[in-house]
Amino acid sequence: MAGPGATASAPERQLPRLMRASFRFLPVAIFLLIWEAIVDLGLVDRSFLPSFGDTMAALWTMARDGEIAFNLWVSIYRSIGGLAIGSILGVAVGLMMATSRRAEEFFGPLVATTYSLPKASLVPLFILWFGIGDVTDMLTVVLACLLPVVVSTYHGVKAVPPVIVWSARAMGTPRWKILWRVLLPASLHPILIGVRIALGFCFVLTISAEMIAAKSGIGKLIFFYGESGAYAYMFGGLAAVVVVAYAADRALLAAMHHLLRWDDSIHAAAADG
Amino acid sequence: MSRICIEHLDKRYRSRTGDVPALLDINLDIGDGEFVSVIGPSGCGKSTLLYVLGGFIAADGGTMRIDGKPITGPGVDRGIVFQEYALFPWLTVEKNIQYGLEMVGLGRRERDAIARKLIRTVNLEGFEHRFPRELSGGMKQRVAIARTLAYDPKILLLDEPFGALDSQTRETMQDELRRLWLAQRKTVLLVTHDVDEAVYLSERVIVMSSRPGRIVEEFKIAVDRSGGREATVLSEEFMRLRNAVWLCVRRQVSAAAH
Repeated sequence: MAGPGATASAPERQLPRLMRASFRFLPVAIFLLIWEAIVDLGLVDRSFLPSFGDTMAALWTMARDGEIAFNLWVSIYRSIGGLAIGSILGVAVGLMMATSRRAEEFFGPLVATTYSLPKASLVPLFILWFGIGDVTDMLTVVLACLLPVVVSTYHGVKAVPPVIVWSARAMGTPRWKILWRVLLPASLHPILIGVRIALGFCFVLTISAEMIAAKSGIGKLIFFYGESGAYAYMFGGLAAVVVVAYAADRALLAAMHHLLRWDDSIHAAAADG
Repeated sequence: MSRICIEHLDKRYRSRTGDVPALLDINLDIGDGEFVSVIGPSGCGKSTLLYVLGGFIAADGGTMRIDGKPITGPGVDRGIVFQEYALFPWLTVEKNIQYGLEMVGLGRRERDAIARKLIRTVNLEGFEHRFPRELSGGMKQRVAIARTLAYDPKILLLDEPFGALDSQTRETMQDELRRLWLAQRKTVLLVTHDVDEAVYLSERVIVMSSRPGRIVEEFKIAVDRSGGREATVLSEEFMRLRNAVWLCVRRQVSAAAH
């Protein structure tokens, strides 16, 4: 969806906020209805695809006995912890690359060659080194989150107009303070866009890693129920992750909106779904 | 005391096809409290001259001294105002103005007091907590001037500061700059491509040639400005000088075209 007023026609703009907000979920509602319908009408075998209702019932059962809460918590701290570590490292490496030719020559080829590498393929190697559990799972997430943040920070810092840095220098900012006081805030928007991309990756990677290398977590839960043929429970676990990932993205978007309230382009960019 | 002394300054830009001379053998003395303008065709290196003086880019030859001390980098003895404002968009008007004071290490109380005074000086009361994106071009340039005046540099380097403004706003800002200069008598070097602006504001106008930039002529501007803008601009002496400078700049432009 484009920014408010950008492509919205006049009558659409007059609709009350609540109604417009519910329109957002219309495609999702239609999807869920079709899902329920094809299973209930017997178009697919119920043992191969549980209905939406079955999935919710399974999710409710797992929520009641605490199975979801525990595993979700484990997956959330692995995802968000990995995202946080990966983002901090990513900003540091991106800043170094953008401001030092040596760092650029060192990290540049590394970033270029590992960018398209599927990070989940490293899990077997990490199991060998670190066993199964948090270290392996989080390391996978950190690596996956690192690169988009490195790249967006690098390009963001490179795009800072020289006159901004010059005027800071003219006002007596020491060289080392330029990083913190000028380059970082000036490139905050691209950095946060990188973090948002990484946020999408962090749940995917946590679930993938947990499926092969964990004793707990939603990934493990999904894998376990999938193996034992309890597909409604498997889908229930998936649904829980979808909700959490969506909420996390919305929260980040709201934070971006606040942090970048001074930015001209945020009002157009942050309005997209 | 703030004297700028430039001797045999050379600056080249490196490009794939070889070095391109930007400034060639610039010699210029600017006295303490003097208002000097540099004018010339676009691409003559007048902004480059300002950036070298600001300490942002290095010269390739010659010497530049301020009060006898060679320029080695940026410093708070020189304040600079850019055409594109170069404000920090993530800081409010008030915080932008306080930035230099914070770098100098002034306490919060003193910073607040100085910022309040300057906001009054540049007529921005009521806009203290706005972000730059919420301001018009003229207001942004007022903030840029205020934040430069805040840490009280002895020298002002102005890089086409009013170039992006409409002509009415530009005239207002010129009058404000003149008022400030009369009150504070800072040494000012103004780079512009606007002949009227240069003649109206300066005591001396330096005309530069097209690339490579050299100083071709110098005009002393001894005009009586006590009668205000209208009387000044319409006076015969002003028009005579304005025409002379205009003709000189025009010759540089056409020399470059042939």
